Amino acid sequence: MGVAAPAKRAKTDAEVEVVSRHETQTQRPWNVVVWNDPVTPMSVVVVIFRKVFGYSSNKCTQLMMTVHHEGRAIVWSGQRERAESYCVKLQVAGLSATIEHDE
Amino acid sequence: MASRLFIRRRDGRIEVRLNDAGRAWARNVLSQVVAAERDPDHQWHASLHSPIDPSVDADSPLSTLARENETTTNAELALACIDEQFLTSSEAWAWLTSLQVALRSIAVSRGVLSDERLAQADEELAGEIGTLQLLLFSLAECL
Repeated sequence: MGVAAPAKRAKTDAEVEVVSRHETQTQRPWNVVVWNDPVTPMSVVVVIFRKVFGYSSNKCTQLMMTVHHEGRAIVWSGQRERAESYCVKLQVAGLSATIEHDE
Repeated sequence: MASRLFIRRRDGRIEVRLNDAGRAWARNVLSQVVAAERDPDHQWHASLHSPIDPSVDADSPLSTLARENETTTNAELALACIDEQFLTSSEAWAWLTSLQVALRSIAVSRGVLSDERLAQADEELAGEIGTLQLLLFSLAECL
């Protein structure tokens, strides 16, 4: 261990800005996705969304209709740990749900 | 079974209007959820262990353990109050989630993954799915 560590120098404002922009670009959110299935009653999906996320009835109905018509809907986006936690709650409530990294 | 199987009373409790045969049927379904969570060979086991993040080989053990605990706790709570005439909102939520888990497990284990497959279901399977949907419709109206 005979090599001395190079002397550190303070980052310029320009370097700090570059670093912070880079970090912003790489922090893509995680999505909680609910998938359609042919047996789950629509009203049950609305109740589960309201209970798990606390969304308004209108928002829950809109999300349920998106699942029904498009086959899937992103119902929440954010940090991975919370996305995983919400996904588990939805699966425990009997819905088909997964998480995915936002593109 | 009565037309409205669950009714929200003015005091906030939820009245269960299932007869003995209906309660026995629900007890059997809820018992299957508990059994499926514990038994890897149960036909519903796979649907209770679907992937959380399909892009990785294995999900976080903490998340899968939380799912296992919550699923079992809900089903056991629903079983514990299966003979009650009135349910609290928490008990009704446990009924709803456990019956919904059972409905989805039946659909997945029997390959009912599309509207076409549902239309082709035999009488027994269609009856089972229809009964669960009826219970869930009525419960959802109260929650």
